[in-house]
Amino acid sequence: MQPQPPGTSRFTRTPYLLVAPLTVVLIVFFGIPLVLVVVVSFFDLDKFDIIPTFVLTNYTELFESSLTYRLYAKTITYALIVWAITLVIGFTVSYFLVFHVRSVLWQMALFLLCTVPFWTSNVIRMISWIPFLGRHGLFNQSLIALGVTDHPLEFLLFSNFSVVIAYVHLFSLFMIVPIFNSMARIDRTVIEAAVDGGASRTRVITGIVIPLSKTGIALGSIFVIALVMGDFFVVKVMSGGQSSSVVAAMSNEIAILQYPPAAANAVCLLIIVMLMVAAIMRLVDVRRELSG
Amino acid sequence: MANNATGGHKVTRRQVLKGAVATAAAAAGSRITGFPTVWAQNIRDIKLVQAGGSYSAIIDIGRQATKDLGFQVEMQSAAHDALLNRFVTQPNSVDIADMEFFFLYHLVPRGVLHTIDLKKYKWWDKVVPIFTKGEYPDGRKVSRQGTLPFKVQYVEAAESSKFAKGPTQWATAIPTVYNADTLGIRPDLVKRPIEHWRELLNPEFKGRSAILDVPSIGIMDAAMAIESRGDVKYGDKGNMTKEEIDKTIKILVDAKKSGQFRAFWTTFDESVNLMAAGEVVIQSMWSPAVTAVRARGIPCYYVPLKEGYRAWASCIAPMKHLTGLKLDAAYEYLNWYQSGWQGGFIAKQGYYSSVPETAKKFLTDDEWGYWYDGKAAKNDIKDPYGNLMEKAGEKRDGGAFWERMGKVACWNTLMDESRYMVRKWNEFVAA
Amino acid sequence: MARSSNGRPWTFYALAAFFTLFVLFLYGPMSAIFILSFQGPTGGLTFPMNGVSLHWFKALVAQQRSGDFVGSFSRSIMLAIIVLAITVVISIMAGLAFRYRFRGATAVFYMAIASLIMPGLLLGLGVGLMFQFAHVSPAWFSSALGAQLTWTLPFGLLIMFAVFSRFNRAYEEAARDLGASPWQTLWLVVLPILLPGIIGVALFGFTLSYDEFPRTLIPIGSRNTLPLEIWAMTTDVTSPALYALGTLTTAVSFVVIAVALTSIAVIQRRRARRQRRRTDEAEAGSARTGRPPGSVRAPTRSGDA
Repeated sequence: MQPQPPGTSRFTRTPYLLVAPLTVVLIVFFGIPLVLVVVVSFFDLDKFDIIPTFVLTNYTELFESSLTYRLYAKTITYALIVWAITLVIGFTVSYFLVFHVRSVLWQMALFLLCTVPFWTSNVIRMISWIPFLGRHGLFNQSLIALGVTDHPLEFLLFSNFSVVIAYVHLFSLFMIVPIFNSMARIDRTVIEAAVDGGASRTRVITGIVIPLSKTGIALGSIFVIALVMGDFFVVKVMSGGQSSSVVAAMSNEIAILQYPPAAANAVCLLIIVMLMVAAIMRLVDVRRELSG
Repeated sequence: MANNATGGHKVTRRQVLKGAVATAAAAAGSRITGFPTVWAQNIRDIKLVQAGGSYSAIIDIGRQATKDLGFQVEMQSAAHDALLNRFVTQPNSVDIADMEFFFLYHLVPRGVLHTIDLKKYKWWDKVVPIFTKGEYPDGRKVSRQGTLPFKVQYVEAAESSKFAKGPTQWATAIPTVYNADTLGIRPDLVKRPIEHWRELLNPEFKGRSAILDVPSIGIMDAAMAIESRGDVKYGDKGNMTKEEIDKTIKILVDAKKSGQFRAFWTTFDESVNLMAAGEVVIQSMWSPAVTAVRARGIPCYYVPLKEGYRAWASCIAPMKHLTGLKLDAAYEYLNWYQSGWQGGFIAKQGYYSSVPETAKKFLTDDEWGYWYDGKAAKNDIKDPYGNLMEKAGEKRDGGAFWERMGKVACWNTLMDESRYMVRKWNEFVAA
Repeated sequence: MARSSNGRPWTFYALAAFFTLFVLFLYGPMSAIFILSFQGPTGGLTFPMNGVSLHWFKALVAQQRSGDFVGSFSRSIMLAIIVLAITVVISIMAGLAFRYRFRGATAVFYMAIASLIMPGLLLGLGVGLMFQFAHVSPAWFSSALGAQLTWTLPFGLLIMFAVFSRFNRAYEEAARDLGASPWQTLWLVVLPILLPGIIGVALFGFTLSYDEFPRTLIPIGSRNTLPLEIWAMTTDVTSPALYALGTLTTAVSFVVIAVALTSIAVIQRRRARRQRRRTDEAEAGSARTGRPPGSVRAPTRSGDA
């Protein structure tokens, strides 16, 4: 294992210079706002104004309210379900594209075919589910025309089902791209050697493909989980307002300028999702993969 | 004033122009075509940015204003919650705030708005007395439940941030667009007359009703329905106590769990789609949404209910950071706004103008008859873009202006217990 | 994995079927959009359809109550391109940096992850406040840009990690041994090999910015980007012009991709032809000199492979 790229001396300023732009942008546009948010989370609130003091009421209210736990449970459940589904989709689609599609041109073409929907604005794509899944929507109409059912399926829209479907629809690309990337770099000779050695297809997948694409899987998981945990308008619109998420509750508070409780909630969310990500990183050390 | 070489005072060009125009304007009697009455070479460089809801900050209005006034007016539409946050956290990014009256509760104490000197505004005595005096022309007091605009209309002094109890010279904002909201129904699917707010919670419509998901408004619609049913008697639906909030939310949660609601809508679009697609047959709605559904050939009725309407009103105000020429331009703009073109424009979408007299000049007799007088339309009524709104022979739901605005039960609002209310509302949504 | 001769294993068909279903799933709701965008002037956002016309495509371009599509669309595109460029450059640099071991690497890494996770709404609020305190006017090309970068840079960085983790150092060493300077190695060897990954970063950067909503909502300044304009509109206007927009963007993306793919196919074919020509020349040369083919030629760029 090489600690540094070849041909460089032991101490060099290069990495610091290279990483400087990233660090500066992040500190200015993320670090400072984050500090502001943490500070505000300790402020107090009355009808008209935010009072700059140091109180713990926002946090105590947060932890004492059963709403908090219910919302987190709900959002985490959504995140896990969506993660599982996108993982299966992402893995299968990538596997198909990498190992079963022969020409690179076709690989790219099919890959890009999957990405085209993402060029249309999220908002438009999300609201398009409504004419599709509604009582008189396209899907129900086709089902009825095909004789599968005789009255429209109501649970298709404004339910947990529609929320999960919308999430999968919007975020599956974020799982496909990293996994595709990882899989494409697997050395075919290794697989051929295994096959020659008598390994079954399943054994090849579990023993070679999955371990060698774990960086991609880990990255895709981090993306999807972060996206679902941070969402507020998909869940509002697709559930018909009957369901909520952590950030949706936050957005209601922000709408009427109640910053301190929203800020406290945000700090909590940040910590919890960081823990989830840390757990993923335990399993796959994304950073070590880099220098190895 | 600059000194010139001879040591005397040099009169600036602006002063000369101002004097000349002032005399000319006085002579012309400042007709509507006399804009701008403040005339300087550099006023053409002024740009005013108005930020408001998309029903009010309409591009066409900005364009007409630019044409009539000579300086630039730009419109930026934004959703309500983002709007309030921007006014408070980045006041310099907006010049004219276009908002609902209850925003004033947030904005005036924070000092982000410029008070309006009513002496510089020419239409105040023509503004509907609901706003200027808080009463109807016959002297009756308008319902004070919720945030009656009159309550936040005036401040005590030019630099004050305390609301005055009665009319003063200093206004917080100019009322512009307003309407009375009620429930909308699909008469073809409901098949019987609806007369009370409580029908919203009627199990007969289980799974086919909806309310709006904005906490501060949705809870009032719910309260209207609940009070109509007799479950709770409210002191002030627009300013509930903690117990009243608890009771309301409990009833809502029970209704939700029993499957009463098909959905809660957040955007205008959703309300139209829900109704048009037949997903719901009774819901809280906004007037243009009803028209939008009807424009698609689907029957929809905006029901005048016995308990009255929930009203709302929008207003505009210059932001505090405006000074000098820009502030003058802002006053010009305010005066232009109420001079009729804007009033006529929004009337064709079903909203009322606070100075109906001037709006009348920009509407045909037929349109005025339909929108304001509740008369049957003689010809097809069209919106500003030529789309059909209503067929000839139809009357406006609810009737004439005073029929509707005369029966206001409560106004859109910000409650004292809003923090508690939002939390309970979140619980309701998550239930 | 038995892929002897030309026969495809049954798994191919199973997976192909899955893939097809997935594509149908992706494009399904889009089909509702396509159909509804061709409605007549009385149409709405749901079925049943009301007439057939190109009315809404025209409405899209006309700047009217239906929203300022043209303006906000062009702003969104410009912003997305700027974000793309900045994200690619900074992500590549940062990816290169992380190959070393340097102090603070963990901190920067976790800061990037935290930036990804932070609820966009609050981050946007914070950025807006920051600008207000600094007495700088927020605008789509400054405050909104910065807010969006906190979203795209972590993505870019993580993708670069994935890309570098499979990068074979041997190429770099070979270039070194042949006398290339670090800069040449980077520009002529590393980057071309990583090009697909870099394109991935660019793609993400562009789409993430173009679609970005919560972070841009508050610090936007006085002119909207497309998602904000759409969102503002849905609070008032019901308009299939939105759907016309969806149909158009999809059509445009298809055209762009078709063009990209055809050019790649053409380039590939040309390279193959060039390669064949060189091999022929080399063999002809070795036949003349009696030395093995290839030894008389200068080393080619490994990017040619």
